[in-house]
Amino acid sequence: MRKPYRIVLFFMSASLLAGCAGMLPSAPEERPVSDNSAVVALMDNARNDVAGGKPDSAVASLERALRIEPRNPRLWQELARLRLQQGQYQQAEGLATRSNSWAGEDKVLRAENWRLIGEARLRRGDHQGAQAAFDKAATLAN
Amino acid sequence: MLKSYMTNFREFFTRKRVRLILLSLALLLSGFALYLDITVRMHFEGKRWAMPARVYARPLELYAGMKLRPEQLVLELSMLDYRVAADPREPGSYRRQGDDFTIVTRPFTFWDEAQPSLALQADFDGMHLGGLTNRDTGAGVTLARLDPVLIGGIYPAHNEDRVLVRFDEIPPHLVKGLIAIEDRQFYSHHGFSVRGTARALVTTVRGGGIQGGSTLTQQLVKNFFLTPERTLRRKFTELLMAMLLELHYSKDEILEAYANEIYLGQDGNRAIHGFGLASHFYFDRPLSRLDLPQAALLVGLVKGPSSYDPRRQPARALARRNLVLQEMRKLDFITQAQYVAARAAPLGVVEKAPEGTSRYPAFVELVHRQLRRDYREDDLRSEGLQIFTTLDPLAQTSAERALTGRLTQLEKDRRLPPKVLEGAIVISNSQNGEVQALVGGRNTRFEGFNRALDAARPIGSLIKPVVFLAALERPDSYTLATLLDDSPLVWKSRGTDDWKPENYDKEFHGQVPLQVALANSYNVSTARLGLALGVRHVVDKAHDLGVERDMRTFASTLLGADSLSPLEVTQMYQSIASGGFRVPLRAIREVMMADGQPLQRYPLSVEQVIEPGPAYLVTHALQTVVREGTADALKYYLSPDLQIAGKTGTTNDLRDSWFAGYTGDRLAVVWIGRDDNQPIQMTGAGGAMTVWGEMMARLDPDPLVPPVPENIESVWIDPATGLRTDAACAGALELPFIRGSAPVETAPCGAGSPVRSIKSWLERLFE
Repeated sequence: MRKPYRIVLFFMSASLLAGCAGMLPSAPEERPVSDNSAVVALMDNARNDVAGGKPDSAVASLERALRIEPRNPRLWQELARLRLQQGQYQQAEGLATRSNSWAGEDKVLRAENWRLIGEARLRRGDHQGAQAAFDKAATLAN
Repeated sequence: MLKSYMTNFREFFTRKRVRLILLSLALLLSGFALYLDITVRMHFEGKRWAMPARVYARPLELYAGMKLRPEQLVLELSMLDYRVAADPREPGSYRRQGDDFTIVTRPFTFWDEAQPSLALQADFDGMHLGGLTNRDTGAGVTLARLDPVLIGGIYPAHNEDRVLVRFDEIPPHLVKGLIAIEDRQFYSHHGFSVRGTARALVTTVRGGGIQGGSTLTQQLVKNFFLTPERTLRRKFTELLMAMLLELHYSKDEILEAYANEIYLGQDGNRAIHGFGLASHFYFDRPLSRLDLPQAALLVGLVKGPSSYDPRRQPARALARRNLVLQEMRKLDFITQAQYVAARAAPLGVVEKAPEGTSRYPAFVELVHRQLRRDYREDDLRSEGLQIFTTLDPLAQTSAERALTGRLTQLEKDRRLPPKVLEGAIVISNSQNGEVQALVGGRNTRFEGFNRALDAARPIGSLIKPVVFLAALERPDSYTLATLLDDSPLVWKSRGTDDWKPENYDKEFHGQVPLQVALANSYNVSTARLGLALGVRHVVDKAHDLGVERDMRTFASTLLGADSLSPLEVTQMYQSIASGGFRVPLRAIREVMMADGQPLQRYPLSVEQVIEPGPAYLVTHALQTVVREGTADALKYYLSPDLQIAGKTGTTNDLRDSWFAGYTGDRLAVVWIGRDDNQPIQMTGAGGAMTVWGEMMARLDPDPLVPPVPENIESVWIDPATGLRTDAACAGALELPFIRGSAPVETAPCGAGSPVRSIKSWLERLFE
């Protein structure tokens, strides 16, 4: 049971460690991030900034959005994803955990947060912690 | 004799020698010119490159549906010196009709983008901004920012008292006024005016003394000398220096230096130099915000700050101002309509010169300290950095008003001499750790002792949530329903006297549920709990929550004998308010260079330091403190529906009065005490909490609805026995538990008859 998973994990970590940003999990949901159009606009800004290679501006936009909706788990998650891309793994984990605290019954979102936490731990070299996180993600996804 | 003398003379003045002498003279002269050149440039560069960091409040973000009252918008606009206009067209003007606003914003370069001037149409729906549209196109506006309020500067050490301004900050009216009245040829001359110099020379020759005829450049040069001297030689030197200055620098650069140098008044033994400081001194606002008559008044002062002192000689000042306006009109610098309106305006000078130049010196001090970790002091004072901070002027205003108002009232109520009470406040965003307000004392303009940062005082019962948190992290031993022992306690420790903690009401309360012990702030049961957990463990927990200062590990630490500043207390409570996540308090968002290039961000960061379960339980217990415990009088200020969490703190002999509490959106800590540490005769609830309540009531707080962690379950408890019971039983109490930690045993309804006395007061508490 466990073994094939480890192999998958190995290949995943290998490809991730190769710095392939394209492998990063992307936002799985396409429903609007909020019913507040200001928040939606800021999220769009952030995504455009990421695409345009301006991660700091993207962070600034997401923080602005979070000031408007501090309880929106998808904003926290987006920030976590961005920090992961920037190589700030500890921050990524903290932010994804914070997203989880607001996620309530949204299992899809929580599973995604645990995947982000897993990635962050993996890249820090915490393989055991990463596996625990991936396990949680898998449980939630089922 | 004579012959030999002549021979000597001739011998001396050989051709060679004459050439040598002429050469030396030329060298001497060019040496003098060079010396002057160096001097003048040194003086000029010294002034020119020292551009202070400018500190801004957060910009107010406007979007439909946001929580904002019309009065708050008006307050923000007035702090930005927006003008009321019947038909607003100019950036920085607005009109209010009932709840409908038209605002023409100023263009502003923010850290992330430049926002042009926008004409906004806003209306209100009670406590919320209803709609936001563009007046000119009628299209909806999703999000717009007002420009941020300028709250201070970090000034060069040797010019501590100067408010240096850049050319683009000088209002055009002021420049035009200066040119109209002081130096009409400024933009065309080479540093001196032929006519002016000739006139001055004639007067001098006629014996009228050395005087006048100076260009702005000459006036500036005059300021480079330490002593005033009226000799022809000085005049000549000044003239040369003025010409040299014109060779090296542009007109705008010279005018900028002039604007920062010119003498404009006297405040006791403090000389007011520069238009920037003068603007604060006379009008209590930044120079860039002066209107036409105000700018004209400052220009008028150049001729003689004491003869035209608007506070002492208002009539002469008015006449002088109007003369400046008249000259501006003659040159067509202003329209007839502007002239008529400006002439009719009052002087507009603030009665008393404000203390300092920042409205919020205590907050700016915090910003300065955070910056010093990352920047060299010299760079802060000279590179013209733009600092965007987290200050929310609306929250700050509420905090200042509540503190000053309540302190005066408390002194009356307690028959204390006036002005003996002091206080401090910190307000932060409970989610992201941004410091929104900071009050360092009741004189909010005072730039001295900052109690919010530097007054470390015993925190009393504010430490208790840390003790209870340490307990609730062990769900197999402690829950909110665990009965604690509140009977007499004697703690023996080698080398010290026995420690016998007492409760505030001097009674002992037997067996009390943990949540009740915190709600009523019982000392004895808390001390016993803390000793069982270990003082070291509790202190470690405080450090986990963000306290950096060393704390002692005495038993008395458990009851708050250790001293912390209000800011440190805020950091400690921040981690509880944000559900167990440590969020470093931040006063700065971004730093931008003088040319508008982004330099640095101070990002939001979070780290989980406490499991969500115990953090949730502590918040629940702190909500009980407000609902039915020591802080229940908060209901006179704020609706119980807001479910506020808070804790009162009182120290020995009633020397310190504390309150720390949080809503859904803000955390605030209030301290009241005396600088000489004498008793103030009030508890946390009697003093600090009333300030907190009054302040928060003005800020329309969000209700506190913390997210319920997944491992939390709700169970009905019989408070008398601490056992599980049926929801239908009288007196049954619903409490949150970490899954698996709730009591298994069930008590039948009314099982608690033998302990009815405890039950009855518990019922009273939980009603």
